Amino acid sequence: MARPPPNPLYILRGSGDVVNTLHFCCDGQGPSLLYSGSGSGAIHVWNLTTRRPERVLESHSGNSVIWLQALKESSTLISQGRDMRMCVWDLSEGRGAVTDALFTGSVGFCQCSLLETQPGSTLLAHPTEHMEEVSVVEMKSWTQVCTLKPDLKLGMLMCMKMWQAESGPVLCAGYEDGSVILYDVSHRRLFSCLKAHTEPVMCLDVDVCRQKGVSGSSDNILQSWTIDDQRNLQMHGSVQLTNPGVSSARVRADGKILATAGWDNNVRVFGWKKLKPLAVLQHHTDMVNSVAFSDHQDPPQRLLAAASKDQRITVWSIYSES
Amino acid sequence: MMMKSGDRGTSLCSQVHRTRHYWFCWTPSAPQTLPSITSNRLHTKTPDAFLPQQYYPLLATNILCMLEKTCQALRDGQDCSLGFVAQLLGKVCMQGYSSFIFETLVPRLSSLTRTDPLWQRVIQKLLEKIPERCMESVITGLIFNLRGAAAVSRLMGNLVVTNKKAQFVLTYKLVLQQYQHPTRLLKSLLGYLALNAERRPLLKQVLQSVCQVWCNSSAIKHTCVEQQLYVSKALLLCVALLNLSEIEELREEMLQCMLGGVQCRLDSNIERIRRMGMVVGECLSHRLDMPGSQLKFKYEPDEEIIELKSLMESIPTKDSEESEPEHQSDDTSRLQPESETSLTQSVTSQSGRDSDSELDSDDDLTPYDMSADQEKKKSAPPRYVRDCLEALMSSNDAERVELSLQAAEGLLRKNVKATQEVSVQFCKVLLHLDDRYNTEGFQVLRQNAMVALTVTDTKPVVEYLTTEFYSLNYSLRQRLDVLEVLALSAQELSEPITNKHTGAQPIAAVAARDQSDDITHWRQIVETRIQSKTRRISKSATQMVKAVPNRYASVAGSFIFPLLRNYDRSQVTFDLLGTDHLVLGRLLHTLGLLMHLAVNAPVASQMGRALLDFVWAVRFHTDQMVRRGVMFAVCAVFLSMPSDTLLTDLSDDLMETRAWLADVAENDCDTDCRSLAVQGLILLDKNLTTQLQLPDVET
Repeated sequence: MARPPPNPLYILRGSGDVVNTLHFCCDGQGPSLLYSGSGSGAIHVWNLTTRRPERVLESHSGNSVIWLQALKESSTLISQGRDMRMCVWDLSEGRGAVTDALFTGSVGFCQCSLLETQPGSTLLAHPTEHMEEVSVVEMKSWTQVCTLKPDLKLGMLMCMKMWQAESGPVLCAGYEDGSVILYDVSHRRLFSCLKAHTEPVMCLDVDVCRQKGVSGSSDNILQSWTIDDQRNLQMHGSVQLTNPGVSSARVRADGKILATAGWDNNVRVFGWKKLKPLAVLQHHTDMVNSVAFSDHQDPPQRLLAAASKDQRITVWSIYSES
Repeated sequence: MMMKSGDRGTSLCSQVHRTRHYWFCWTPSAPQTLPSITSNRLHTKTPDAFLPQQYYPLLATNILCMLEKTCQALRDGQDCSLGFVAQLLGKVCMQGYSSFIFETLVPRLSSLTRTDPLWQRVIQKLLEKIPERCMESVITGLIFNLRGAAAVSRLMGNLVVTNKKAQFVLTYKLVLQQYQHPTRLLKSLLGYLALNAERRPLLKQVLQSVCQVWCNSSAIKHTCVEQQLYVSKALLLCVALLNLSEIEELREEMLQCMLGGVQCRLDSNIERIRRMGMVVGECLSHRLDMPGSQLKFKYEPDEEIIELKSLMESIPTKDSEESEPEHQSDDTSRLQPESETSLTQSVTSQSGRDSDSELDSDDDLTPYDMSADQEKKKSAPPRYVRDCLEALMSSNDAERVELSLQAAEGLLRKNVKATQEVSVQFCKVLLHLDDRYNTEGFQVLRQNAMVALTVTDTKPVVEYLTTEFYSLNYSLRQRLDVLEVLALSAQELSEPITNKHTGAQPIAAVAARDQSDDITHWRQIVETRIQSKTRRISKSATQMVKAVPNRYASVAGSFIFPLLRNYDRSQVTFDLLGTDHLVLGRLLHTLGLLMHLAVNAPVASQMGRALLDFVWAVRFHTDQMVRRGVMFAVCAVFLSMPSDTLLTDLSDDLMETRAWLADVAENDCDTDCRSLAVQGLILLDKNLTTQLQLPDVET
């Protein structure tokens, strides 16, 4: 007899609008924080000890915030909104002001990807006004490093992730026709292309240590693929979901489990090695937009947060014993 | 001729002389009747050697010796006559001992004739000499004990062509007039006819006569199912044995036969006959038509059908089947060790693979229970009876209709008051509901919902259903549904223990508190008082079953009487006594069931009387299922009507009823009718004897 699925640890209310994106920041000094971006342009900074929003930042002129990322070791927050802008916030010492902004021109929903190569230099990949194009810029000076575009007509750029390999930065992007493409950023060329889905790729995540990635789309298949030494993408395994539609997928840092946010209001947890279904976390009453794993150093404290269209953020502790 | 038999006769006579002092006259018929004569004289002290089981095999071995000597004599150039042996054999078979004789004779003869043509001629001559009146029993016994058409051909030669009586028996009597023989006899017989070019015309003749019988509609109605099965087998075997040119010759006839016969059979009420028609039609069409336009039916295959289909495969006419049993055991024994090794190999390889995969999986992460994870539906199931009704009535959304139908039964049973308000309307909707969206389990769900309606609000719904049964413009399926729902709800109402539906307790109306307290209170008080005052000598082993009022008894009349009202009124769309005999048969079964369930109701005697009147009018119907229904209803009446009223009601018709039942028990062609009639007779007689027994007069 399998045990019943766990209940959420706590639920964060008060967002005031649909919650689109989440980001944990728990390994620094000070309290554990969770950043959430809502559909009305509010960025809430939740204190996970008091479970109350420490601060609320109004941003992007009331337009929806679709992506947040905090830089390590400096109280800097980067947000992407639907006002075609990227804002850089300085949150140190109680401030909450925009120090820098970049006009991307992108009207889509594709989230950016950040890569901190050294503490000084950070690369940011963002979508542009051309639907299929990715632009990689260096953050301090906003100088463009390169633009990446597929040769074939693959439709709109849907999602991407950039990471550092030995040869340089590597970017993986998912497109509207279901293809996943691996780019070599430094040489501005394509490594390989894989038709992972028949429907648009809604989300993807890559486990850099194991060189394995997963992509979810608007159909009911969750597909995992591997990157071999020649930088070729190959299909690895897949699992069929009960209900179609995955808006976000995340692999936990220790590489044990994978969480997906579903359009059927459920968060599903799978084993990362073989995509074995492990749990279905049912709580939300509307579709789940984003999932995120916390970066606690201490394993028993690890958390999983899910942000949903019903304006709630649920925080769970699952498979967190080491 | 006489010398051999004389030797044998005297040895036997001397045996008798030694044991007993009775003299008996030696007559030419003594050898074949010796066991009966000795048993008649000696009764229970007959020695074992004179019992048929031992005597006739002995006779058979002696016949065999004699035949061997005849063969030897013929080889030496002497003439021999086999008349006496033929007469002997004939008389023995006519008395019914053919199985004893042929069991010993036939295997030996079969193997001898395989190699030696002289033996074949001797046996054929012997068979020719058998007297006319014994021919049938000899041939039947011979074919019964022979294995395979080739053996029959060797032993009988062209007897069927030369001998008129043999021809009649083989081509007509065994195929069309008798039906108790096993399939292998038919196979041997028809294979025998097919083997020789001189006999093939006879095969065609057999096929034509079988075709005519098979497609004859009155034959289907008046012969029993077993005989129809036998004739179907004969037809299929004949068709399987014909070659292409012969099929072309007989094509028109066979086609006509197939079409006519299949049509008549599909019209029958009995499922076995329908299935037989379908299978034979398919097999014939397979042979006659091109691959694109062959007939194909949909049915559930069972043993009978598989057997019928296997007859169409080509029948081996060589001796292979005789030597098959010995070879089969070798083959199976050789196959077994091979299969065992392959099995073990596959098991080890699979276990190796399993262990590899287990090392890879994360066994440290155990999954949680995911049974609540289901496909998301766009709409929610209805939670109120009126919502359910509305969705079923006027919704075009497939999912909503499906969810409403699935939720219907539970809702109807739980919300008694709400159901009672809309019961007739709901019933009307369900009766007219058709399966627009190919819902899974549509029939069952609809039926359960209608039964729930009937059980919850009995009187109005039953009145509605029984009126609608006889109304215009309903399909047969709907009328049959009405009958089924009535039967099922009557069954549920008459059940004393309602443990099936304890889960869905009706939501009771909120009653005034003091009222309910009083009622339960005094019952409890009385119970405890009785318990305290009774002295229990021994604890009863079984639990006392709580008495529950019979819900069916009060409404039984409203079930049956309306159904009996309008049966003879023939309408445009519903002719109960005419073409719609399917519904009549089902109606009779339902009435019988309703009668049986009313066994202790006060209105049972009136019901019984009315039912017997109804049944009297239709008792001579041509359809077998209707007659079975009549018998079932009559038995139900005899069982459930109180016996004293039975006698008074039937008194004027009693002799007629008994005579009719006896006639059906003997002469009806359907086995089920006969057995049911016998049961009815037994019940009637039991009632009569208990009633007519004079009570003991006490002094």
